[in-house]
Amino acid sequence: MKKISLKFGAMMTAVVLAAMLGGVWLAATYRENGSRAILLPDQVMTLFPDPKPLTAFAFTDHENQVFDLSRLKGKWSFLFFGYTHCPDICPMTLAILARAREDIVKSTVGAKDVQFVFISVDPDRDTASKLRQYVTYFDTSFLGVTGDNAQLGNLAGQLGAAYQVAITPGVENYPVYHTAAVFLVDPRARYHAVFAPPLDAASISKRFKVLRELEGPQAT
Amino acid sequence: MRWRHPVFVGLILSLTPIAAATGEADVSVRDAWVREAPPGVAMMAGYMVLQNKTSRSQVLVAASSSSFQAVMIHRTIAKEGMTGMEHAPQIELSPKASLLFAPGGYHLMLLNPKRTLHAGDRVDITLEFRGGLVLPVAYEVRK
Repeated sequence: MKKISLKFGAMMTAVVLAAMLGGVWLAATYRENGSRAILLPDQVMTLFPDPKPLTAFAFTDHENQVFDLSRLKGKWSFLFFGYTHCPDICPMTLAILARAREDIVKSTVGAKDVQFVFISVDPDRDTASKLRQYVTYFDTSFLGVTGDNAQLGNLAGQLGAAYQVAITPGVENYPVYHTAAVFLVDPRARYHAVFAPPLDAASISKRFKVLRELEGPQAT
Repeated sequence: MRWRHPVFVGLILSLTPIAAATGEADVSVRDAWVREAPPGVAMMAGYMVLQNKTSRSQVLVAASSSSFQAVMIHRTIAKEGMTGMEHAPQIELSPKASLLFAPGGYHLMLLNPKRTLHAGDRVDITLEFRGGLVLPVAYEVRK
């Protein structure tokens, strides 16, 4: 009985939180391992009921360190694909993510176990030093990573992210197409949620905070 | 007669578009800004709100600036689930309509600034419309 009332209490807290967000609908699902409330449906954030575990990949970060699957474990990771020669959508999104991080830092949730990773799909131009200059301009905690096309395709494929680099001989500023969504990977390195554009900082941080409240203090 | 009252006549004069021949009166620009670039980045973007004050269409055909190697009118578009940029050779402003150049949409792509631009700086860009209308605009660099 006690367990059920606790569940109910948690559910009601979640309902109130969701009502405070406005426009976010909340539903509760029950699984074998207990109750898990999910935010559904929501135009900004799609939360997967059964987060998909990611498999091995290998990138290099802006400090020339290996950035692989193990670097996603124990942290909530916001991932964004882009390239530094992108004048509009990439700086816009990174500025939004920097503000979302500020919100999260100030909240009770905190950002100790949260990381933001910019994945360049343009490894020919985006060297480690270039990535370091770029991402740390937005937030000193941001990480910039890239890898070869096979590895980029590997992780992009796992997340359902698409990109296309139209390298044109003799053309200095060749076009690059990439998914503008922000992907959220949980501390078990599972693809947990995705934020769809158009994005804004408050929408991301609010939803993340609610998600963390629902998931509990422990990284699950 | 009552309408000859000096205040009334003054009001009518102030509403008369006496500067109709200049660009400023035909198309107005407000909230013109350029996003400050991270270090080492040679691609910037400019944004603004254009308002066509006339009762005929105005077509933006080019933009130029001595502060950059090149200025192009671009639009961020979605293509097969991806986002990219395409060149917009011309943009038509409907009569009396406003057009927003904003992040994620239309923007002026500013290539290779000749000096490093910091938040608070101002940079001049000239907008050119079909029919010879030329509009110099000062953009504020913002973070």
